[in-house]
Amino acid sequence: MKPRGTVPSAPPAEEQSAAARTIGLRLLDGLEVVRATLFPHGAGGLTPWLFLLPALLLVFLLVAGIVPLLDTSLRELDRATFRPGEDWTLANFQTLWERPVYTWLAIRTMGAALVVTVLSLLLALPYAWLMVKTPRPWLKKLLLVSLFLPFFIGQVVRAYGWLVVLGNQGLANAVLGWLGLPPVAILYTLPGVMLGLVQYMLPFAVLMLAPAFTAVPEEVELASGSLGASPARTFRHIVLPLVRPGLVAAAVVVFTLSLTDFAMPAIMGGGRNDFIANAIYDAFFSLSDPGLGSALAILLTLAGTTIAGIMLALFGLGTLGYVRRG
Amino acid sequence: MQRSPFTLLLGLIVAFDLVFLAVPTLVVVVISFTSGNMVAFPPEGFSLRWYGVLLTKPEFLAALGRSLQVGLVCTALAIPAGTAAALALARWRIRFPTALQLYLLLPFTVPLVVSGIALMLLFGRMGMLGAVWPVGLAACVINLPFMIWAVAASVNHLDPDLENAAMNCGAPPTHTFFTVTLPAVAPGILTGALVMFILAVNEFLVSLMLVDARIVTLPVLVYNAIRNIITPDLAAVSVVYLLIAIVAIWLLDRLVGLGILLESKRN
Repeated sequence: MKPRGTVPSAPPAEEQSAAARTIGLRLLDGLEVVRATLFPHGAGGLTPWLFLLPALLLVFLLVAGIVPLLDTSLRELDRATFRPGEDWTLANFQTLWERPVYTWLAIRTMGAALVVTVLSLLLALPYAWLMVKTPRPWLKKLLLVSLFLPFFIGQVVRAYGWLVVLGNQGLANAVLGWLGLPPVAILYTLPGVMLGLVQYMLPFAVLMLAPAFTAVPEEVELASGSLGASPARTFRHIVLPLVRPGLVAAAVVVFTLSLTDFAMPAIMGGGRNDFIANAIYDAFFSLSDPGLGSALAILLTLAGTTIAGIMLALFGLGTLGYVRRG
Repeated sequence: MQRSPFTLLLGLIVAFDLVFLAVPTLVVVVISFTSGNMVAFPPEGFSLRWYGVLLTKPEFLAALGRSLQVGLVCTALAIPAGTAAALALARWRIRFPTALQLYLLLPFTVPLVVSGIALMLLFGRMGMLGAVWPVGLAACVINLPFMIWAVAASVNHLDPDLENAAMNCGAPPTHTFFTVTLPAVAPGILTGALVMFILAVNEFLVSLMLVDARIVTLPVLVYNAIRNIITPDLAAVSVVYLLIAIVAIWLLDRLVGLGILLESKRN
């Protein structure tokens, strides 16, 4: 692998940049004086924590925001005053458990997330494989750029694209009409939401799978082929088992992202195919029942965090993408 | 690879993927040039009128300006915080590594809708709502693991002997850090900064809860608009986003190469 780090080169000949370098070194000297004054003997065991502090503080904002939700989730809305109750109660969780609306909400969301995960992985596997293994540079570039363009365009803008394609006056129905076929009404249905989600998740799935395919040594594939295995057998018995960790990681990421999605059901579901995230939003902003919304929010957070925790336990700490040097 | 029905099937799936990924974007580009008043196929004619509408409607430009502001605040916060965290994680043996990882991954494991409501209530109590910069701060919090990942990938390529050599030559710690360590992880910082900027400019759900009618960001403006009637001016907005994405990908390819993401994490 080629090293990408650049080591500062020899001072350039131009006087101007030499002057800039001198100023830069003076600045560093100043910083060094500050450091030496603050930590004359080094920060010792504190150094790693000082480095981590800004990130820890940023994430702490999230923790500080979620903890009050726990408290809110335990207070029932007083319908007379429209204020949260005085005492802690599990009434909100009981409401979620008892009302069939919320049972169907959970089933719809989990079922759709499962279908989206399976479809995304089926579509992503060949894409990632070809992107990693192709010897043609132009094909690799085409596949990379096609993947990154939608990845870098937000969900709302992509959902707008689907509205244009699938709407009543949209491209799909124009083509069907031109072929003399009846129009389809996939927009504002659950399959429509899933279609939008699969397209949204495809880049995530491919990007999670690609490193796993890179790690498969080409020799084992060649060996399998030269022993007479067809490409299908090689893929099924050699490649798939080797990329299984990447496959599970991609499945977990796609499933949790779909499970907690808001924009696709909101835009492509037309209000009739809400997911749990939409119900949380409505509980806060339409029903004005923060207790119920918080209870749903806590349950959804627990689901997401548990799945990620299991993944960390299964695959270890490499999940954050770093390898510590021995 | 040999040709077989199986490889043909894989090729067909990839071809489908390419069309599937591109169709909504391509269609939007076509519609943005229509001269008609409605989104219809085939488009009525060619014109640039909807781009003109964008330039003459102050709310679009203001929302775009605010989204770029969100992106800048987010990136400015993420660069130091993410770089320092990635260096610390890769460099030192820290106690409770699993707990630390789970904590730093919270922005990904907490659903965005929950993060949005939690930050809205928190910022509300702190009197921070009604301004644009808290949206940038929120975008930084919810995407921070991307920044840490990007820099961590570069740290793994950093040879600790380079730093030891600098120290041996008499460079004090600050000099070593800024002249050896940082330049070595610069590709990761650039990648992370670019990704954080793009994600923040596109950030929708958390913004939806943190902004009010006076300070809507561009994705929130698009969201509010498509709930009423789908007009071609939004296609022109989408093309603006497409252009931003193209520039970002071009920069990423020039600076570090897109292939960086294909590398195995187990090397």
